[in-house]
Amino acid sequence: MKTEITELYGDADLTRLQQKIRRQSTVHILLAAAALAACLWMIARTGTANAARMEVAVILVSTVAGWVVLYGQLLVVAPCRRELRHARMLRGEERQAVTGAVTVTGEQVTIRRSITARRVEVRGEKENHRLLVCATRAASLEALRTATLYTVHGYVAAYEVPR
Amino acid sequence: MKTLKRIFSQLHTFVLWALVSAMFWSWIFTFVTDTSPEKKVTVYCKVPEVRATELAAALEESMPEGLRMIQVHSFDYVMFGVDAFYQGDVFIVPASELETYAELLAPVEDGWEMKVYDAAAGEGVATAYISYADEDYYLFLGAGSVHLEDGKALAVARALLEMD
Repeated sequence: MKTEITELYGDADLTRLQQKIRRQSTVHILLAAAALAACLWMIARTGTANAARMEVAVILVSTVAGWVVLYGQLLVVAPCRRELRHARMLRGEERQAVTGAVTVTGEQVTIRRSITARRVEVRGEKENHRLLVCATRAASLEALRTATLYTVHGYVAAYEVPR
Repeated sequence: MKTLKRIFSQLHTFVLWALVSAMFWSWIFTFVTDTSPEKKVTVYCKVPEVRATELAAALEESMPEGLRMIQVHSFDYVMFGVDAFYQGDVFIVPASELETYAELLAPVEDGWEMKVYDAAAGEGVATAYISYADEDYYLFLGAGSVHLEDGKALAVARALLEMD
């Protein structure tokens, strides 16, 4: 019987994540540099008459720009980095094969502090397995009935369906 | 909703950044808005109310060469540093307190009193910036001023005396 292994994270996914991290980080560096330049420009234009206003303006610009960068780094880039590390682990580490009837349950857990994963139950002939799959990849498993799942540390990395 | 939740999960970081940003730039502004006594002339006013920033900016329009800034403070400012107070360049003091601050004050010229506010006439200098109490006020140069010799304290005092 001819079969085909489908990776949940392909090369294109890794490249997409890397590009997103690089693109976002570049935007954040540019924003921080622009905010710093604006602050220095305002300081250069500070005189006795406008010192109090300029101080408030500089603090506001610096604080808001910092918040935007922090938001991007903590809530966009950091989760991408974690997902990339997770994907590399799934791609690079030793796998175990689990075969059986696959059911993706509604149970959700958060792994690596920001990745939402869904519970997958595999009922095999000899034993049952409770695994996890990234929520964004769960749809591809939902259509499966009987399959062989390849797992790394309990996470589904790939699947194989008999054809 | 999810975005708000994620922001709230990092709220401490955002608050910490705001505090660090405010403290850092406030510290930087202490250098921007102040300089050494040699590069500034400081005017202290023992008056009920003085619009210090506006008066300083007005005096800077005719600032002597070599100065970076003119500062105006009320006497309440002494709480931030007594040393700076004793190095003050120009003082405006009410008649009733001349004795109290005698050691700080040097006359503009020997034997010469410079009245800046006449309570009887209700007239004085820089009344757009300074609110005087109901008594006479006098202007003196600071005995500890570093600008007595170079005449810059006197130049600023003269500019002040020419203000309406």
